[in-house]
Amino acid sequence: MKIKMEPITGRYGNFNIDGVNHRIYWEEAGEGIPLVCLHTAGSDGRQYRALLNDEKILKNFRVIVYDMPWHGKSSPPQGSKVGHYQLSTKSYVSQILGFIDGLELIKPVVMGCSIGGRVILHLASDHKEKFRALIGLQSAGHLDPYYDIDWLHRQDVHGGEICGAIAYGLMAPTSPEEERFETMWHYMQGGPGIFKGDLFFYKFDGNIGDKVKQIDNSKCPIYLLTGEYDYSATPEETKILADTIGVDMVKMKNVGHFPMSENPKEFLKYLYPVLNKII
Amino acid sequence: MFNKLTENSESRNSLQIMAKNLNTVFMISTMDHEYIIKIVQGLVAEVKIGPFVMPNYEFKLTASKDEWNKFLKVIPIPGSHDLIALLRRKVLQIDGNLHPLMSHLLYFKLLLASLRPSEKF
Repeated sequence: MKIKMEPITGRYGNFNIDGVNHRIYWEEAGEGIPLVCLHTAGSDGRQYRALLNDEKILKNFRVIVYDMPWHGKSSPPQGSKVGHYQLSTKSYVSQILGFIDGLELIKPVVMGCSIGGRVILHLASDHKEKFRALIGLQSAGHLDPYYDIDWLHRQDVHGGEICGAIAYGLMAPTSPEEERFETMWHYMQGGPGIFKGDLFFYKFDGNIGDKVKQIDNSKCPIYLLTGEYDYSATPEETKILADTIGVDMVKMKNVGHFPMSENPKEFLKYLYPVLNKII
Repeated sequence: MFNKLTENSESRNSLQIMAKNLNTVFMISTMDHEYIIKIVQGLVAEVKIGPFVMPNYEFKLTASKDEWNKFLKVIPIPGSHDLIALLRRKVLQIDGNLHPLMSHLLYFKLLLASLRPSEKF
């Protein structure tokens, strides 16, 4: 029986990040301007499966999606122990720069969602010369905790079940059920304490604070898109961020916190015009 | 409002597989009315409607009737579509022993969403 082959290739590489060996898995497809995509906390690169299959985008962009260390098919860094994972701003930025340097990408576009949408602000503030453009999905400058994240890593609560349940609610009820299920499933497959460890960056260490005022949009264009059903990084919070930086933001109808994964068809309608400006 | 949880529903019964070891009693308050809901092995066994003199339950979800009505719309508006979304807007309060709820969070989300018209799982 003939199968429908996707254009995606997956590879492993060993990257030296902050002097430690990291075995990282990434997937890519297409040719042209490198577009590095960052997945959300507690998930993996499968969230960008639609982009990696989109013929229009692949004509002009080399879409590259890596699994963060500890996530998906990437290994924990050499010497890691269970229960000690905590994503800091410094380690997150180092990992992104290390990955880009490792693949020898010149002036890539970086698009990140949620924690990825936050870290692009740090990239814009501290490393703008390295990027052609930055795209933030579900970006907010900071997020005050609104539920007790200790529930995400307890030995008497199944980690996959609770992380999946949290992710499920962040999606729009109008997103296709099949895509919502897949998006939730990625969360159900995360390692113990990894989602919670990522949220250390999202809710505490990664708060951009006054540094956001240093962002110079003229040196590296920034685009912000946020789904209307996201109650984590709300459109109102993205608007505050956009006004501070001095850029426009787009509120995406009928999607929530995971636009590229929960409703790719709807999301791509908003992404095409952004990518056309970057070409 | 929540007494319909005992009505037989294929979609609601299908949730049992997510909570077949769950036995608990919880309260939902609309501030005007109180409901005590008993779950036995993942099925809604009983819903009692208050007022109660000495209610006995493990945890309680409190939101205004207006907020619950918005939550139960066929397609809820942003911010009303999920229990944690209500929590984020500080219009829902959750009290008590949260372990039964948090260890079966998706089950409870879908159980309450099953009251939305035409909801299927």
